Parts: sequence; C-alpha cells; structure tokens
Amino acid sequence: MMRTLRQWLVPALFLAPALLVFTWFKFIPMALGLRMSFYKVNFGAPNEWIGLENFSRVLEDEALGAAAWNTFLYVSCTVSLSVVLALLLALSMQGVTRHIRIIRTALFLPAITSAAVLAEVWRILYAPTPDGIMNSIAALFGITAQGYLNDPDWALQWLMLMHLWKSVPYDMVIFVAGMATINQELYEAARVDGATAWQRLRFVTIPGLTHAITIVIVLGMIRGFRVFAEIQATTGGGPAGATEVIMTRIYKLGFVQFDYGYASAASVVLFVFTALCTMLYLQWRKRLEA
Amino acid sequence: MKPCDRFVFSLIRPLFGAFVAVSAVLASGAAWAQDSIQVWTRSSAEGRKTYESIAKAFTAKTGIKVEYFNAWTDFEQRIARAAIGGDLPDLIINDSGATGQFVQMGMLEAVDRQAVAGGQDLQERAWATAKGYDGKYYGVPTSAQAMVMYVRKDWRTKLQLPVPQTWDDLEALAKGFTHGDPDGDGKANTYGLVFPGSAQRGYAAWYMSSFMWQAGAEFVRPVGGGLFKGGMDEPAALAAVSWMRKMQCELKVTQPGAMNAPTQEANKAFISGQAGIYISGPYHIALFDREPGRDKVEAIPAPSGPGGRGVLGGGELAYFPKAAKNKAGALKFVEFLISPEGQTLGMKASAGGIAVVRLPVNRKVDPAQVNNDERWKMVAQEYEKNAHTMPAIPNWTRMQQVIGEGLNAILSRCSKDVAADLKKLNVHVNQELSAQRVLAK
Repeated sequence: MMRTLRQWLVPALFLAPALLVFTWFKFIPMALGLRMSFYKVNFGAPNEWIGLENFSRVLEDEALGAAAWNTFLYVSCTVSLSVVLALLLALSMQGVTRHIRIIRTALFLPAITSAAVLAEVWRILYAPTPDGIMNSIAALFGITAQGYLNDPDWALQWLMLMHLWKSVPYDMVIFVAGMATINQELYEAARVDGATAWQRLRFVTIPGLTHAITIVIVLGMIRGFRVFAEIQATTGGGPAGATEVIMTRIYKLGFVQFDYGYASAASVVLFVFTALCTMLYLQWRKRLEA
Repeated sequence: MKPCDRFVFSLIRPLFGAFVAVSAVLASGAAWAQDSIQVWTRSSAEGRKTYESIAKAFTAKTGIKVEYFNAWTDFEQRIARAAIGGDLPDLIINDSGATGQFVQMGMLEAVDRQAVAGGQDLQERAWATAKGYDGKYYGVPTSAQAMVMYVRKDWRTKLQLPVPQTWDDLEALAKGFTHGDPDGDGKANTYGLVFPGSAQRGYAAWYMSSFMWQAGAEFVRPVGGGLFKGGMDEPAALAAVSWMRKMQCELKVTQPGAMNAPTQEANKAFISGQAGIYISGPYHIALFDREPGRDKVEAIPAPSGPGGRGVLGGGELAYFPKAAKNKAGALKFVEFLISPEGQTLGMKASAGGIAVVRLPVNRKVDPAQVNNDERWKMVAQEYEKNAHTMPAIPNWTRMQQVIGEGLNAILSRCSKDVAADLKKLNVHVNQELSAQRVLAK
C-alpha cells in the first residue's frame, strides 16, 4: 500500500511545480478565453452573455476567411518542404560531415534564434532597394530588383522561405535522432542483397523514420497554424493583406479593435481546428501502419 | 519545550514576522496611495522626461506624488489589459483619436467642464476633440497640434527647387529627390516621399488623411442628425488616392518598403536620409533637429491640393478612468497641466526630453513667447487655419483600420481601376458605419 502510494507520490511531487506553472499560466487563461468567447467583453461594465454570436461571426468574416486561406497555404507548403529538406540534410549529416562540429552547429543555429531577431535579420536581407542584400545577390545572376515582402503576390512565399530557414534545422535534428534508432543490420542486409542507395532510403530509412516523420509533421502543423511573431514583426499582415494569417488577424481583432470576445472565439476555433487536424492526421497514420 | 514544538515554533516565528512586516508595508502603501497618483502617458522616454519635470513642479506645489508609466507602440493594448484586470491608473494621457474607442470600452468617466478649474481658459477648438459621439466630454485637452511637412532643405537647395506650395510642386520635388542624387554620393539611393503605408493600426489612412482634405475629400461625410455616409466613392477621394498611386506605382518616388512601413520605419527612412519629404506631427521637430540636423531640415506647411489646404489636426487628452483610485488627485494634476505654468513647462523640453505640450490649449499662453521658434508659430497657424480632425463617429479607431486596409490594398497592388476599388472600399466603410449604428439610410 505504502509502496504504491510512494510510487504515485514521488513523480507527482516532481511534476507538481511544472503543473502548477502550467495551470496558472496556460490552463486557467485558456479556460477564461473559452468563457470570454461567449460574451461581449465590456471593459468598464459587466460582460454580456451573447451565446454563440461570436462564433457565427467567425464563420461569416471574409477577412478572417482570407487569413485562414493564407494560413492553410503557409502550413501546407512549409510543412511539406520542411520535411523533404530536413530529411535531405539529415541524410547528408550521416556521412563524414556529422563529425564536423562547426557544420552541425551552423545548421542548428537558426532553430534556436528568437523569432524577433530572425524577423529583423530577414527584413534586412529582403530590403527591396537595388542595393539590398538579396537584390545584390540576385543582380549577380542578372535578376532585376525584387520587392520581396512588399510585393503582394510574393510576400507570403518569401515569408515561407524565412520559416523554412528556422524549421528545417529543427526537423533535421529529429530525423538525425530517428536515424540513430534504425537497426544498422538492416542496412548491411540491404547492401548484401545489392540494394542501391535509393532502395536503401526507400525501403530501410524512410520506413524506419515513420515516427520521426509523424512528429515533424504534427509539430510543423501546430507551429504553422499559430505562426505570429515572424509575420507581425516583418509585414504585420500586409501588403494588401497578402501575409495576413489567422493569428495576425486575431491580434488585430483583440488588440487593435479590442473585441476580446470575438478574438477569443476566433482563437477557440483555431485551437479546435488545429487539434482536429492533428488528430485526423494521427488517425490516418495509425490506419496506415495497421 | 519539546524538540518537535521547538521546530514548529522556529518555523512560525519568521512567518509571523513576515506577516507583520507585509501588513505594515501594505498599510503605509494605502496611506501613501492617497498622496500619489498613477499617470499613464503615450509617450517616448524623451517625452517622459518632460512629464517628470511637470510632476516635480506639481508635487512641490501640492505634495501629491506622480507615478508615471509610459509606452509608445502598444499603449492601447496595455490600457485594455489593465482595464480587464481592474488595474487602470488614475489618469491616462493619450491621443484624442482614442476617445471613441475608450468610450465604447466603457472605462471612461465623463468630464464636467465646469468642474475643471481653468477649463474656461481652454480653446473651444481643443475642447471639441474631447467630445464623444453622445455629446458628452470624455477628457480634458492638454496639447494641440497640426501636421507639418518636413523637407530636406539641403537636398532641395542643392537641386535648386522651390519650397512646394502645390501638389505639382511636391511631385517635382519628390522626383528631384529620387532621380537627382541630392546627397551627391553618385548612387540612386534616395527617394522623395516618406510614406508610412502599412495597414497596421490603419497607418495608411492616418497618413492619407491630410491629402484627402487637400483634395476636398472626407473619409466619411456627416449628413446631419448624427449620421454619416462613406465618402470614399466621391471624386475628391478618387483624386487623392490616384495622386498617391501615381507617386507610389508610376513615379516610384516613395521610400522602398513603404507599404509595410508603420511610423517608426517611416521615421527611420527620413532620419537615415533615405527619403526627404515627410508629412508628420510637429512632435518630430526636436527629433529631426538632432538627426538629420536642424540646418538640413525645414518644417513647412503641407502644400495645397485641388481642394485647398488641409492637414490632420488633433491633440492629446487627459482621460479619467472610472476605476481610478485617486480621482481628486488626478483632477488636480490635470488642472495644473492645463494651467499656464503646466503648459509652459510642457512646451519647454527638459534636458534630453521633448515637448509634450506641442501647442498650448490654454488661451493665456502665447506659444511664441514660450518657444521663440518660427516653426512653432507656423504650426500654430496651421492648427488655426487648416487643421481638420478625424470624423466624430462613435469609434474612429475601427474605421481607421478598415480604411487603412483598403488604401493599403489599392496602393500596394497598384490598382488598375482605383475608382472601382474605392467603390468597393466604400461598401466596407458603410458596413462599419452601419455596425456603429450611424449610417445614413
């Protein structure tokens, strides 16, 4: 009896500080946010219960719809490209290069750079002047000066590139860790059977990385759906709303228009949507593996 | 005493001590709170220095201490957070454009003009900026201003171009700055107009307002009875937006990155010598005197357009939150701030600071006597003759966001049919008026 109690108590005590912090700073605010989404939030008077009105507004809001579409494009492109590029990088790290520490460090540096610093650095790189850094490089190849983040037709794609710079190294580390768990005997057996490099990748490496790929995709989706700091610090959703994503829209609703109830409702919808997408994807993977 | 009891007692004793100490601190804090006020200002660190010199004089006079908090870019967000957390200060000093939003948030106390000592000395024009849509006053004006045009004088004289009086002159000057290598470094790296064209906080609408009035346009037109209709589909609005489209898309004389630039970025473009013409608030006079330098920059009236002269005017108001703890202290501070002494102190920038009273709102204060600077006389004249304020709809902040997003889209996509796009924008403007229940049928 005492033993079971201790078995339960010791981990609970170790977890308690973190749980306490999470409860105070995450779970309680989330619950309050959910409650707020059913109210018209008044700042100097009691809030008014309006039921599902905020949620029906979310469904009718054209601007929020456009932001949702941009977010969908952003997530689908960055997640798929990030998986491919990170896998290629992880494969390249398998050979001799993995011993070169400076390369590993250099590759991982973007992943630990803060979003605000990242945004500032890339804003400088993307300076739309003819003597801007990217434009100077482009000029070497005879490409005329680009507008980058100021071009409504291309701003979102340039932001995706910035996102990839940060997410690819992070995903690469997960793949490198995943590769370490693949049984080396499988590679040896494949080699004995005369498998080509492509066949080894196709039939040994990729099946062995199933879990790592799942993690990378799920994390990528969650990260992508709630992308905010990088976009707010570079374009603020502009120009012409071309880079407006759900989070920048919610920020405007909440902190420019002070429509807290509506902004909360939009946040709840985003949360439910992200959770649903993740769950559906995990279900699909499970069925695929079965 | 048993060892166990001793252990418990040793634990309790410091706790009891701490309890007594905390109670004493809280009690003294409560007593001190009556002798102090919390004032939040939307100002930079330089502005705060001047406010502190005002506070020093106020405390010397009344014994009431002033605790300041200042923020610039996210001031309103902090106010909202404080409001929701029930932690608003005793006084808020902010741009008069915030009135509608603050009133709608239900956090402001209405002001009885008669109850404000010295209120009768304030200009009626300044009081008008404190009027809410319901006709009540929701603040006390502390400072007034009108936008001015900053031009790189050294560049203009080098290119031998005249001081711009009309839109055509302005266009010629902007072209000269863009193509004439005014900084003489042999590179095509200078531009004409500084344009904070971002949709964030509706900056594009805020900046374009002066050009709209110069064209004779109105974002929303009052039709009487407290009702309005969108004015973005009128020919005058088309003239203003088409002119700016020409600058941005055809002549390309605005600074690169204009359509994503909030005001901080725009300021940088002017300070760094990237672009040489900037219509902005007179509060930048001190900033630009430092860099690019007083000898290099001239502050002049904005030019006239097809509809005459017109610039954005406004000012700052002191707002009284309903939840203030020391209302009497806050009122005393405001009465001091609007008195000739307070206004004079606010106009005289303390060392390292900038003026927080741009133009005095008190009729008894002569700006020319306080600040013997011709440029401020010009600002006063502009305020007197050509300043317009944003329309008095219930919540202008929301409308500014709608129009800012629309203008940003038209100008950054270089619309091929500005008239049609303005018509579409006007539909959104009318929708917002309808949401605010002031749309004329």
